[in-house]
Amino acid sequence: MPEKIRVIVNEDRCYLCGGCAGVCPTLAIEVHSSGWEFFQDKCISCRICINACPVGALSAEPLEVSE
Amino acid sequence: MKEMKYDVVVVGAGIAGPIVARNVAKSGFSVLLIDKKPAIGTPKQCAEGISIKVFDKYDIPYDRRFINREIYGAKLYSPSGYELELRYKEASGVILERKVFDKMLAYYAAKAGADVLARTEALDVIKKNGKVVGIKAKHEDEPVEIYADVVVAADGVESTIARKAGINTYAPPHEFDSSYEYEMLIEGFDPDMIHLWFGNEIAPRGYVWVFPKDEDRANVGIGINSDNPKTAKYYLDKWLRENNIPAKKLLEINVGVVPVGGFVKDLVKDNVLVVGDAARQVNPMHGGGMAEAMEAGTIASKWIVKALEEENLELLKNYTTEWWETDGKRLEKVLKVRRVTEKLTDEDLDLFIQILSGADAEKIAGGDYGEVIKALLKHPKVLLSPRRITLLKELL
Ligand SMILES: Cc1cc2nc3c(=O)[nH]c(=O)nc-3n(C[C@H](O)[C@H](O)[C@H](O)COP(=O)(O)OP(=O)(O)OC[C@H]3O[C@@H](n4cnc5c(N)ncnc54)[C@H](O)[C@@H]3O)c2cc1C
Ligand code: SF4
Ligand code: SF4
Repeated sequence: MPEKIRVIVNEDRCYLCGGCAGVCPTLAIEVHSSGWEFFQDKCISCRICINACPVGALSAEPLEVSE
Repeated sequence: MKEMKYDVVVVGAGIAGPIVARNVAKSGFSVLLIDKKPAIGTPKQCAEGISIKVFDKYDIPYDRRFINREIYGAKLYSPSGYELELRYKEASGVILERKVFDKMLAYYAAKAGADVLARTEALDVIKKNGKVVGIKAKHEDEPVEIYADVVVAADGVESTIARKAGINTYAPPHEFDSSYEYEMLIEGFDPDMIHLWFGNEIAPRGYVWVFPKDEDRANVGIGINSDNPKTAKYYLDKWLRENNIPAKKLLEINVGVVPVGGFVKDLVKDNVLVVGDAARQVNPMHGGGMAEAMEAGTIASKWIVKALEEENLELLKNYTTEWWETDGKRLEKVLKVRRVTEKLTDEDLDLFIQILSGADAEKIAGGDYGEVIKALLKHPKVLLSPRRITLLKELL
C-alpha cells in the first residue's frame, strides 16, 4: 500500500491553471476562479498532480492515520 | 435560487465553447455560454500560434485587433545547434492575442444570438432520474440553476463538468504536457518565424519555443512530459540561463497543462457533449489545440442543431462517429509519430535535423512524411544503425 498523503498547495506559486485538476484521475482537485480546493476523501495518493504542476506548487504531507 | 432555461448550455468560453455557441445560435436555438473567468480570455494559457487557414475554414474574421503578427515559417534547432528552416513566401500562420481573440469569439457568439455570462462557474450537473438536465452554477456570489436540453462541456483541460456528467475523459499522466511560458522582451531571433528547440536535456519529450509577437517581444515557453519529476519552469529557466538570455523583462507568466493524447472515446453521453481540451482533442506532436477545438466545435454544433431540429437527441452520437472518422483518425496517426519520436536520442535529433532539407520539412509539415522517411532510410548514417532503421520503419 502506498503511503496515504494530503496534497497541499503553495498559493504563492499556484497560477490556478487547472492542470492538476485535469490530470487527477479521481476529481480530488477542483480549481475555482476563487481558489484551489482538495478533497481528501477522493484522493488515492497517486501523486500525479504533484509531478504535473508546471511550477511545483504542490507537495504532499503524510496523512496521519486516525485510530 | 435563480433558474434559467435554454436549449443548449455551453460551459467554457475558450475556443471550442464560443464556436459551438455561435453556430447553434445562428440556427435559431437558445444558447447560454458561461465562463468562470471575470474577463473571457484572461489570463491566456497559450503560445498563441495558429495556422492562417482557420479564419476562412471556421468563418472567423481576420481582425487585426487579435493578430499580433503574421508568421512565414519555422526554424528548428537540434541539441547541438544544427538548424532546419522552413520558410514560405506568404504568411502561413499568425500569432494571436488570445485575450482579445477568445473574447471576440464570445462576442461573435453573442452577436449570433447566444447569451454570454462571464464570471459564471459551473459547479456541478443537475440530474433528474439519472439524466443530466442542466448545470448548477455560481454567477458572482449568486447560485443559479441552468436547465438545458443539451449540455456542452468545453471546460478545457480540467474537464470537470464532462466528468461530473459521467463522460470518461481520463488520460494517463504521460499523455499530458506541463507548460510554462514567459511573454518577454527578447532579441536576436527572426521575428517572422517561429523557433523550436529540441533535445532530451533541453525539453524532455517536448520543445522550447519562441513565438514572436513583435520585433523584440515573444512568447518564450516550454512543454515537457507531465510525469517528469522536474518542473517545466525548471527546464525553461535553465534553457534561458544556458543561452545567456536575460529573464529580466517579463511581461507575463503563463502556466498550463496540455493533453497530448488519450483522446476521449465516447464524446457524447445522452445529452452531454465534450469538446476541445476537455475531450483531449489536441495535436500530440506540437500540443496545439486551437484548430482542433474549432474543428470539434464545428462537428459538435452541426449535430446539436440536427438533433434539436429533428427533436431526436440520439443524433448527438453522430458527433462521436464523425469526429473519430475524421480528425480523430488524423490525430491517432500523429500520436503514433509522437510515440516514435519520443524514443529519439539527442544524436538522432542532431542527425535528422542535419540531413533534412527545407523541402523535406515542408512535406512533413503537410503530413506527407512517407517519402521523407524513405529517403532518410537510404542515408549512410541511418543505414549503419539498426535502431534508427527500426524507429523510422515504425513511422511508415
Ligand atoms: C502554455 C501553452 C501554450 C499553448 N500554445 C498553443 C499554440 O501556440 N497554439 C495552439 O493551437 N494551442 C496552444 N495551446 C493549447 C490551446 O491553448 C488549447 O488547446 C485551446 O485553448 C483549447 O481550447 P478549449 O476551448 O478546449 O479550452 P480552453 O481554451 O482551455 O477554454 C476552457 C474555458 O473553460 C473555462 N472553464 C473551465 N471550467 C469551467 C467551469 N467549471 N465553469 C465555467 N467555465 C469553466 C475556462 O475558464 C476556460 O476559459 C497551448 C496551451 C498551453 C497551456
Ligand atoms: S497545476 Fe500547479 S499552478 Fe496549476 S492549478 Fe494546479 S497547483 Fe496551481
Ligand atoms: S495524489 Fe492523485 S488522486 Fe490525489 S489529488 Fe493528486 S492526482 Fe488526485
